[in-house]
Amino acid sequence: MSLPQAIERVLLDERTIARRVAELAAQISADYAQAGELVLVGVLKGSFIFLADLARRLTVPNRVDFIAISSYNRGSISTGVRLIMDTRTPVSDRHVLIVEDIVDTGHTLDYLMRAFAARQPASLRTCVLTSKPARREVDVTVDYLGFEIPDVWVVGYGLDYADQFRTLPYIAALKPEVYQS
Amino acid sequence: MGLQDDVAKVLIPPDALQARISELAAEINATYTDADRLILVCVLKGAFMFLADLTRQLTVRHEVHFMETSSYGAATSSSGVVRILLDLERSIEGRHVLIVEDIIDSGRTLSYITRNLRTRNPASLRVCTLLSKPSRREMQVPVDLVGFEIPDEFVVGYGLDYAEEYRNLPFVGVLKEEVVQER
Repeated sequence: MSLPQAIERVLLDERTIARRVAELAAQISADYAQAGELVLVGVLKGSFIFLADLARRLTVPNRVDFIAISSYNRGSISTGVRLIMDTRTPVSDRHVLIVEDIVDTGHTLDYLMRAFAARQPASLRTCVLTSKPARREVDVTVDYLGFEIPDVWVVGYGLDYADQFRTLPYIAALKPEVYQS
Repeated sequence: MGLQDDVAKVLIPPDALQARISELAAEINATYTDADRLILVCVLKGAFMFLADLTRQLTVRHEVHFMETSSYGAATSSSGVVRILLDLERSIEGRHVLIVEDIIDSGRTLSYITRNLRTRNPASLRVCTLLSKPSRREMQVPVDLVGFEIPDEFVVGYGLDYAEEYRNLPFVGVLKEEVVQER
């Protein structure tokens, strides 16, 4: 498959991602071996590919749930997270793992952690495929992290630019002229 | 692994799933052009695994959007009317839309969703499903792409659940009868 024109370079190819997802799944399976059932909460839309690959490799019983969020905006400035669709599974007294494609400023994950902690789950952890530490504005704990990446616009494997390039099987940097224009 | 012990037989192994999904992706790539700006509508939750594997093989320009529905009461109504818990975040007017489903059974819910989406005046509306149980059909609904036609057995895995379990099995399997009866 040739690279789309808008792509500058591939940061993480398919094999690298698959290997790391397998490692994360093995770690999670070991950590939750005695826990009974795990509830995976995927944050739409970006996490669906990561979640599909991760869930298949888990050896602990798990159920999958999705939430959808957007942000409150004042002009172009985001002022908070809005939950559009909640989980269907009640999460109190269950072991919850929030699955995200990326943590950037940390505001979204911070909000989700507080929102889910208030429901008194048996445990609450986070699994994030990519992190941009350079962009962090609030401290959030990522319990299972796939990759640290530089502060460039990344697409693929769930990550998008204006809903484009989301389903590329690898993670790539977008050419700056694409998002600066 | 405990979950696999509940499976009477593997109906579609992972290799066969992936081979067929490649063929479906090739058909979609051949059907649409970049100018169509195809919109894939995934009906959660069951189709997410199929969607993840299918879309990674699409080379034609597309966007992915999600819907989630639930039934109003205990039983599904005969008209297939469901409550839309999560609606599309964008208009599909004038756009080419492909609904991505994990399984078509009675066809009632899908029929309602297609009727609902058609009122929004898409340029075209097609349906792609991984699995179909033709013997269960109660409402005729045109399906353009079918991965596998399967017999009327209780299938789980690859996104399909039984009471929220078994979704993450990497194959489509038939659940043992005693597992279904125990509940």
